[in-house]
Amino acid sequence: MQASELLSAYYVDANTWDEMYKDATVREQYKGVVEFMQGLNIEELNRKEEMARNLFMSQGITFTVYSSGEGIEKIFPFDIIPRIITSAEWNYIEKGIKQRLKALNHFLKDVYNDQFIMKDGIVPADMIYSCPHYLREMHGFPVPHDIYVHIAGIDLIRNNDGTFYILEDNLRTPSGVSYMLENREITKRIFPDLLPKNNVRTVTEYPTILHKNLVSLSPRQIAHPTIVVLTPGIYNSAYFEHTTLARLMGVELVEGRDLVVSNHRVFMKTTAGLQQVDVIYRRVDDEFLDPVVFNPDSMLGVAGIMSAYRKGNVAIVNAVGNGVADDKAIYTYVPAMIRYYLNEEPILKNVPTYQLGNPEEREYVFGNMNKMVIKKTNGSGGYGMLMGHMANEEEILKYKEAIIEDPRQYIAQPTINLSSSPCYMNGKLQPRRIDLRPYALCGPDGIQIVPGGLTRVALKEGSLVVNSSQGGGSKDTWVLAG
Amino acid sequence: MLSRVADSLFWMSRYIERTDGILRMLKINYASSQDDVHEFSWKPVLKTFTYLEEPEANELAYNSRAVLQFMVTDKENPNSVLNIVTHARENARSVQDHITKELWQCLNDYYHTVRDEHLIQLLHREDPVTILDTLIKQGLLYYGITDITMARGEGYAFINIGKFLERSVQSADILDIKFSDVDYDFAKTDATYWKYLLLSISGYELYLKTYRSGFDAKNVVEQIVLNRDFPRSVEYSVSQLHRYFQRLKGDKNVEAYRKIDFMIGKIRSRVKYSTVETIMETGLHAYLQAVKEDLYEVGNAFNQHYFAYS
Repeated sequence: MQASELLSAYYVDANTWDEMYKDATVREQYKGVVEFMQGLNIEELNRKEEMARNLFMSQGITFTVYSSGEGIEKIFPFDIIPRIITSAEWNYIEKGIKQRLKALNHFLKDVYNDQFIMKDGIVPADMIYSCPHYLREMHGFPVPHDIYVHIAGIDLIRNNDGTFYILEDNLRTPSGVSYMLENREITKRIFPDLLPKNNVRTVTEYPTILHKNLVSLSPRQIAHPTIVVLTPGIYNSAYFEHTTLARLMGVELVEGRDLVVSNHRVFMKTTAGLQQVDVIYRRVDDEFLDPVVFNPDSMLGVAGIMSAYRKGNVAIVNAVGNGVADDKAIYTYVPAMIRYYLNEEPILKNVPTYQLGNPEEREYVFGNMNKMVIKKTNGSGGYGMLMGHMANEEEILKYKEAIIEDPRQYIAQPTINLSSSPCYMNGKLQPRRIDLRPYALCGPDGIQIVPGGLTRVALKEGSLVVNSSQGGGSKDTWVLAG
Repeated sequence: MLSRVADSLFWMSRYIERTDGILRMLKINYASSQDDVHEFSWKPVLKTFTYLEEPEANELAYNSRAVLQFMVTDKENPNSVLNIVTHARENARSVQDHITKELWQCLNDYYHTVRDEHLIQLLHREDPVTILDTLIKQGLLYYGITDITMARGEGYAFINIGKFLERSVQSADILDIKFSDVDYDFAKTDATYWKYLLLSISGYELYLKTYRSGFDAKNVVEQIVLNRDFPRSVEYSVSQLHRYFQRLKGDKNVEAYRKIDFMIGKIRSRVKYSTVETIMETGLHAYLQAVKEDLYEVGNAFNQHYFAYS
């Protein structure tokens, strides 16, 4: 294929950072991939795309959509062109995330114990107490090694000058890591030899590190503590991920109905009777975890698990109550937390955020609605979000009313132009907007981030929403060795 | 092992064994229906493998394509291959961390194959044997992969327990229903009839080698119930069931183990110390019925003592 053909439809939007192009030439880090692609013809490229789809399907890397009583298997769209991060960019991201997580962990320990940060007036107490994810059940008891956030999936975006910004801190049950792992496996199959040729760092250590960290949390000092992954079950859209993690770590995948609490200890029901569980990596949200303490209708949790947790007889990962730290209104205070707890300047920037409880900020936001993104403070998955520049009068009015009703529930951010990255579309490369979610693991030995992550991509032309529930896809994410 | 996991492995395995049985029956009966056999009827198949009422079964009994459609792809038929494979795959899906990746992919592929619209079209329009063969092969792949890749632990024991429990019930069923079709009147049957029955459970060649004097109903009963070397005989299946069950012996759950060991041992002895003559004395139907009931009891005991979790 001629060089010009593959790139003939490529363009860079005004005021946008493009990952591949700079002044109409291909950046150094993308040269290897672009040259390789140009050596293939359209049929070959289409075949690779087809092969990727079949691999996802055959391995059951799917989620099930139930309609008219019948399950339909769907795959999350995958774009075959990798997203490439240079080693300098990665070092900067890695440092920034470690710093941020350290501060957030201090913050969680503080708000659930001494509350110095509130007493010193850095974060207003009403901000904390009005957060629905602040759980008084977590008050005043030590969690193992003082670690609250064991697994974080912090979302990063890049604005028009290429600066990385933190979009949100996912500190509860961040998902998508199995796609980081599987996307890489798919790349190995569809592009033989391309990874080693480009000096791409491996991501395969993730389950090993996670397992080591989980073992270290065991309350019983025994050679082989029982570690489990707790899933809501096969109907959960992330079920594939839960089973992948259990398989890769060689631990048991359990559902709430497999567990029982007796005498403040958690047991699983096995063919040989009850077996005590030491560490639970749960993928069930706080509110469903224990019907005795939280939502009484929950069928997904285990009655009495919180009492076992508070007694220190079982470790729960991530800690319960982390939602207070990734609340979108608390987000504004993270740079202040970094200064307060670490006495350091934040490395990674926050996106400017307007607190709508503050009348002045609210006035400003209401006057500039078409330049704003309005988000619910405890929403996720791209739901409960208003993109000002796309919305009509009626939608804007509806949001304004809702904000006046309960300003604590919303924040506003100026629309950030996500960076664009090449995607393979009908025989050509075309720019689509992306974000980045690296996965950080905190254990007693510190914070480790496998070099890679999940790059989500908005597959619709011009769209800025990358969420999989809103027509987003994903890419393999390469971090190059230095 | 989690009780829920043991339960799922057991059922995954039973469902595939059942699928295999159904597909073989369909293939051979279809061939038989093309063989211009005098008044060929699908009724025994429908009676073994579906919950159809008499009138509904009668309506289908002489329409091969309709039976194939009902048995393979009908979504409303809880025992269609489509539905059973879906159950097997759902069970496998919930225990992916206990089976090998190869085994999961095999069942996942089986599921996608049986839902393939194109294949379904062929089943209705072209040669059904080709399609049935494709499906049977997918099942054989499952058996091979299980054998080659699965670790010989508790999970493997439960897989085999499910498999042989299902198989012993099926073999008893096939015989019972085939004979009920002729009101247990052995004189009413002819050679072609036996040939197809044996072919459907891969026992034809063995029969020819064992009995050189042509077809005799008593010999058929002897092979399907009592032949120790025939992998589909009741005797073989029950002793395999016992063998894999005995691997569960340990220092936990001792009482349950003893109880079920006793139950299986009893069935095994009953079959082992039978002869065709004693079976005929009891009456074939009564004999098979008693064996089946005892096997159902074993299934219930597993539910109670090994799989109870909710």
